[in-house]
Amino acid sequence: MRPRPLTALVVANLRRQLRDRVGMFFMVVMPFVTIVFVGLALGGSSADAQLPVAVVADSSDPVAAAVLAELGSDQALVVQRAETEEEVREGVRQGTLAAGLVMHPGDYEFELVMSQTSGSGMAARSEIDVAVGKVAAVLEATRAAVTAGATPEQAAEYVRAAQRESAEVSVRSSGGEDDGAPTGFAYTAPANLLLFTFVNSMAVAAALVESRRIGMVRRSLATPVRHGQILLGEALSRFLVAAAQSLLIIFVSMFLFDVDWGDPVGVSVVVALFCLIATGAAMLVGALVNSPQQAPAIGPPVGIVLGMLGGCLWPREVAGEPLTTIGYLFPHSWAMDALLALARPGANLGAVLPEIAVLAGMAVVVLGIALTVFRRRALANV
Amino acid sequence: MRTREDDMTPALVCEGLVKRYGDKTVVDQVGFHIDEGEAYGLLGPNGAGKTTTISMLVGLLRADAGSVRVGGIDVAEDPVAAKRLIGFVPQEIALYPELTARENLRYFGRLYGIPRRELSGRIGEVLATVGLSDRGDDKVANYSGGMKRRTNIAVALLHRPTLLILDEPTVGVDPQSRVAILDQVEQLVAEGMSLLYTSHYMEEVERVCTRVGIIDRGRVVADGTKRELVAELGGTDRVELVLDGDVSAAAEKLRTVDGVSEAVVTGTSSIRLLVTGGRHLLPALLAAVADTAAAVTGVEVVEPDLEAAFLHLTGSTLRD
Repeated sequence: MRPRPLTALVVANLRRQLRDRVGMFFMVVMPFVTIVFVGLALGGSSADAQLPVAVVADSSDPVAAAVLAELGSDQALVVQRAETEEEVREGVRQGTLAAGLVMHPGDYEFELVMSQTSGSGMAARSEIDVAVGKVAAVLEATRAAVTAGATPEQAAEYVRAAQRESAEVSVRSSGGEDDGAPTGFAYTAPANLLLFTFVNSMAVAAALVESRRIGMVRRSLATPVRHGQILLGEALSRFLVAAAQSLLIIFVSMFLFDVDWGDPVGVSVVVALFCLIATGAAMLVGALVNSPQQAPAIGPPVGIVLGMLGGCLWPREVAGEPLTTIGYLFPHSWAMDALLALARPGANLGAVLPEIAVLAGMAVVVLGIALTVFRRRALANV
Repeated sequence: MRTREDDMTPALVCEGLVKRYGDKTVVDQVGFHIDEGEAYGLLGPNGAGKTTTISMLVGLLRADAGSVRVGGIDVAEDPVAAKRLIGFVPQEIALYPELTARENLRYFGRLYGIPRRELSGRIGEVLATVGLSDRGDDKVANYSGGMKRRTNIAVALLHRPTLLILDEPTVGVDPQSRVAILDQVEQLVAEGMSLLYTSHYMEEVERVCTRVGIIDRGRVVADGTKRELVAELGGTDRVELVLDGDVSAAAEKLRTVDGVSEAVVTGTSSIRLLVTGGRHLLPALLAAVADTAAAVTGVEVVEPDLEAAFLHLTGSTLRD
């Protein structure tokens, strides 16, 4: 097979893409705007970043001091002192604080200040719950020891001993679905990679329809090049656009938002397979619709719905069981699972083999159907 | 004794071409040939099968029966080699509007396998041929209809084909651009290019082509030089009537007049007739129209021409 016609077709299509200013805006600018805004809503930063928490407390109160000490030792939190409850509420309202804790002297019912819709607030609450729980456990153990007849000094010694022993006990993650699930940019970056790669692939199908409508495909097929090469060139052009957009999102999110994508080989395979599926979908839209205006009218809405089902617009847990199950009929859910799994420490290609197998199967089916239909439609008007 | 002409391979030979879609036969036993350096016109009304025939000639469609040989090469057996000999100008303006003419030409040049070192020079040559040397770096989207049509032709000339196939190359262009395109086509024929030309414009075919095939309902109903086709009409003349009144009723009445072989309504107020002895029959024609309460406002008697031959052979005008 001569590579020159293939290169010529790809170069011409990429030139056309680069000259489409609206298309380039949606390809380059829009994904990052979405990553930033949705990322801030779901956690404000990448998974490893610390959550700002303000505490109103009287340090002379031993319980408050114990809670403060626990919060201060939590690596996930940045604890600052606030003077008033109103100050905490204002910080949470403005988004400068993930959450706040108000401890009134002598009152062991603390007040948690957070926004129920904020992912970072949820994460901070879970950390605060752990810290308060530890202090409560110490108090309860001390009270139990004193009730059993120990002096306060003996009780304190028993509790310290118990704490030393409990430090040796650790909980190991069993790899369950929710363990260490990325939040913030770590979630929105892969979600938007899948969403925008697919949506933009569907949108650029308009250029494919235009090529078919104005007879460019037909004229190219009349040149001394095998039909398969022309079809391959059209598919490769779309694949490269999808891959370029994916790479852009990966690298910019790595460098700007400190997102750790995980094993590069695994991520490359998953993203490449997803781009092939997006290419097939674009070819199918390009073959089936009759005017270039129909492609952006049909394709992106379909891409957005698939993105919703696949957890690209919000975490799938929010959508509920039925929609999550339906989502697994489409590639977004599988690719999302694979990318989130690969982002976990130590995960590699082997951890996502089932997802890769499903995505590969989908790519073969969608591309196969798309190329067959496209060839038939390109030659239909002769 | 063999002459030089006997030794020449025809630029195109097609025989018994058939194309069916389901039960419908859209091309039925079409056959003709084009000698080297000859300009051949294929005339036919819309839906006659011209474009389907061309699609089989250029290897886009596989014929259900029959064969096509371009420069001696069977298109079905070696489509790639055959396509190298053909310059194809489709009816559509098949150019990427977002790219410049030069970029479009570069794209097709690479599909035709023109070496990179030759391509830039060749692009300059074809742009000069179609008179667009100074606009080659403009986007095609910014071109006029005529400039787009000329670029469409330039693409087909890029790889120096031996047979140029033009499918309605002047559709939608202004008269000035049409003249420029026809001048270029005539120049190419004068330089020895073999040509297959289809058009809705009879005068274009009369001007450019030396031999004409008339295709109707998927069949070639006549094939010959213009003189041969017109001679088939015998003493038949074409009469154009312009009327005020019910033209359909007038046409109906005119068909009953002895000597009228065809009467076709060609517009809201015009009728085209094929008659024997046109000038002598005029009083009878005018009387027939008068019977229908329509009034004749204009009359033209035309000597036998290709248009009359087409009407005679197909029973319709070319623009029907």
